[in-house]
Amino acid sequence: MNGQELVSRMKRLGEVHSIKDVGPLSRAMFPGPHCPLMGAMMAVRGIKDSVMLVVGTDECTYYTKNTTIGNKAFGGLDGRCLSVVLDQHDVTFGCKEKLYDAFQEMMEEYNPRAVFVVTTCVVEVIGDDVDSMVEELKNQYGIYAMAVHTEHFKTENHLPGVRDTITACFDMMTPRPDTGAVNIIGQRMGDFTTTELYRMLVGAGVPMGMMLPSGTTVEEIEKAAGARVNVVVNPIGLPLAEKMKSAFGTPYVLFDKYIDPDRIYGLYQSLFTYLKLPVPAEVEDLYRKAKEIVETAAGQLEGLTYIYGNTPIDCYEFNAFMVGLGMVPLLIQTNEVPEAEDPNLRAILERCNPYITKTANIAPLQYVYDVLKPNLYLGHEFAMRLRQKGIEMVHSDGISPMLGLEVPVAGVTELLRAGAAARALREGRESA
Amino acid sequence: MSLCRYLPTPSDRMAVMWSLLTVGDAVVLEYGPAGTTHYSMGLFGAMGISPNQALFTTHMSEDDVVMGDVTRLEEAILELDRNYAPKVIFVIASAITSVIGTDLKGVCHYMQEKVKARLVAMENGGFKGDYTVGLREVQRMLVQELSGCGEGPSANTYNVLGASAGAYRIHSDLWELQDLMSRAFGFSCGAVPGVKASVDQLVAMGGARLNLVLRAEGLEAARWLKEQYGTPYVYGTPYGYGGTEKWLKAVGEALGASVAPEVTSQLQEKKKEAMTFRMYASMYRNKPHPPAAAIVGNYDTVVGLAGLCRELDITPDLLICAHTLKDIEEPAEGVVHFEREKDKIDALRRLRSHLVMADDVSLHLCDETNVGVCVSFPLVSHTQIANHLPLMGIRGTDFLLETVDRYYQNLD
Repeated sequence: MNGQELVSRMKRLGEVHSIKDVGPLSRAMFPGPHCPLMGAMMAVRGIKDSVMLVVGTDECTYYTKNTTIGNKAFGGLDGRCLSVVLDQHDVTFGCKEKLYDAFQEMMEEYNPRAVFVVTTCVVEVIGDDVDSMVEELKNQYGIYAMAVHTEHFKTENHLPGVRDTITACFDMMTPRPDTGAVNIIGQRMGDFTTTELYRMLVGAGVPMGMMLPSGTTVEEIEKAAGARVNVVVNPIGLPLAEKMKSAFGTPYVLFDKYIDPDRIYGLYQSLFTYLKLPVPAEVEDLYRKAKEIVETAAGQLEGLTYIYGNTPIDCYEFNAFMVGLGMVPLLIQTNEVPEAEDPNLRAILERCNPYITKTANIAPLQYVYDVLKPNLYLGHEFAMRLRQKGIEMVHSDGISPMLGLEVPVAGVTELLRAGAAARALREGRESA
Repeated sequence: MSLCRYLPTPSDRMAVMWSLLTVGDAVVLEYGPAGTTHYSMGLFGAMGISPNQALFTTHMSEDDVVMGDVTRLEEAILELDRNYAPKVIFVIASAITSVIGTDLKGVCHYMQEKVKARLVAMENGGFKGDYTVGLREVQRMLVQELSGCGEGPSANTYNVLGASAGAYRIHSDLWELQDLMSRAFGFSCGAVPGVKASVDQLVAMGGARLNLVLRAEGLEAARWLKEQYGTPYVYGTPYGYGGTEKWLKAVGEALGASVAPEVTSQLQEKKKEAMTFRMYASMYRNKPHPPAAAIVGNYDTVVGLAGLCRELDITPDLLICAHTLKDIEEPAEGVVHFEREKDKIDALRRLRSHLVMADDVSLHLCDETNVGVCVSFPLVSHTQIANHLPLMGIRGTDFLLETVDRYYQNLD
């Protein structure tokens, strides 16, 4: 594979206006992105007394169940991930009969409070009206039943599956009096109760409401409209937050996994304003410490080049932050392109114009390393393999369960470690 | 079957994938949504298959689905040929391309002149049947498309047909077969399509002296090779000491050779030692729980292990085939396949004081009065690492007798 040719085919960030303008590094991908069905599975996992009923081929249902078996939140092998397996007959004549039979069996054996009927690619291609079927089943059995569509050919990755599953939870909500609580919407990974944001809220005496999908119950979802404010910790939670704002007047704050201390501090201020409480003194301390570490880092990270793969932090905010520290992105892998006015996009383009390509295609990337020769790689890769090419990997998985000013502290600390290691690696090579 | 509570029976497409990924010097290209490829990693990992640099996907957009555009498939074929130089590119359908009717064979046909690699299309999208349909088709395809005489009849080699990476302990079983064939006849293994074979080994298949068919899914391929190259085949699996003895005898007859005396005497000795277990069986015959066994797995595994139980005077009274029996020629009496998962669950939950040889899910459904051992996929509560712990042959029987012994210790 010719790395130079791969690089020459890539567009620059400044040349693209939407993700449709961004080509994959190669047509033949491995492993490729996850699908929305997996995203739906990740979301249902966090809703304790609900059942996931996957409607699809043997293969889609097999892999979904297989993935949930090792997961305690799903209940393991006997857990609440069930399926309706479609065959040639169902594809020809529709899945209604089989879905209704399966639903009856499920009600007899599991008696769930809520069911997510998750359809896969083939159901969408044959055009079965599963929404109507689910509506009928919901009325027939008097339970919450929601259809979630997860066809992968319409999406870039698994996140729409998480988004649509949590948005479907709106159907379980009814108006409630203000409880002064906060709901946490959109946390995909980790436990919210281990985050700094949680500590600050609980420390200020704020009651916690629904935490969707990181860990909640049908009852908490039913009562979610009583919250004073919704904290959306990932953009996948925005459609639900918008619906709640429109239906119940619940305001929301988008408090994603950001790395810029000023931005995070500003979000704390907005959040506590909605809560009608002063910003906790501890937040002020954390803000000062985060600012200090960022200021120290600027001189040490200046000039380091990198390829951005995939991290838990907001892609463009993180890149704009690193560019602000004097780092140089050579290539950004992403599945989204923000609007031209996006301040982070503008901040990156003011100083540089990196290549852009889609994520999750590490096979051809190996050849790109030899051409671009970055100091760092941010994302999932094989650290030893990268080191052999003189590249240090920035580990970011540890940030996944974090929210708040702990993110810049951990993120910058890791950048400093990796930066020092990359320089040592380069010097070692040169001296050898 | 309506509600599926556990793992559904794998489809034909899944078996095609896990079989073709084992072919050396070849790559597999899926034309379908990328998520399925990514999702499949866990299963392939459990089977010991590494898809790295061997499996690729094109992904598909809504435009491709609606307009039937195959440009990205064409480009991916050209790219793989140029960048990886494989000897063969297997182009695999997906559920979507099956439903919308993409002509993969047609694409491969007109793309063939543009690439050096041999293009082979497999249009199994998951709707032709269960995994045995896929195994049958892939075995037949591999021998029909790739086998040839190679460099002429190769003395004292054999191929193994019907073996599958989706069979629990298959690498250990092949190791045991190689040992038996080497010690009994001085033969060495050629190709094992579906588990381990390079394109060159597949090409040389027609030159082997014998084909060993471990499972019914390899029969069509064996018959084709017999017709084409006159290669005889032996269908059966060596389970149990007596079963192994019979199997070796059948192999010897097909080769016109006798089993080496050393192997024969070893088997005689083993059979003598196993008499203790027959004695246990007779001791427990009139007790509240006479020795009984339940077996769940692929058809030939079930039949083979039932034979082992009978050798030991244990009654195999529940024989569940994990896949449809409709393609099995004259299925053995007593072997059943449950279309409804619920019926299988009920049958397993009813078992009391049985020796259960099954997969992890089935073992999970049996209560503590039973004593179990894993003999088939799927695995959910453990992993397979060892390649020297067979279920077949002499060592396999040694291992299974340890569980039989545990069974008697547990029996009232």
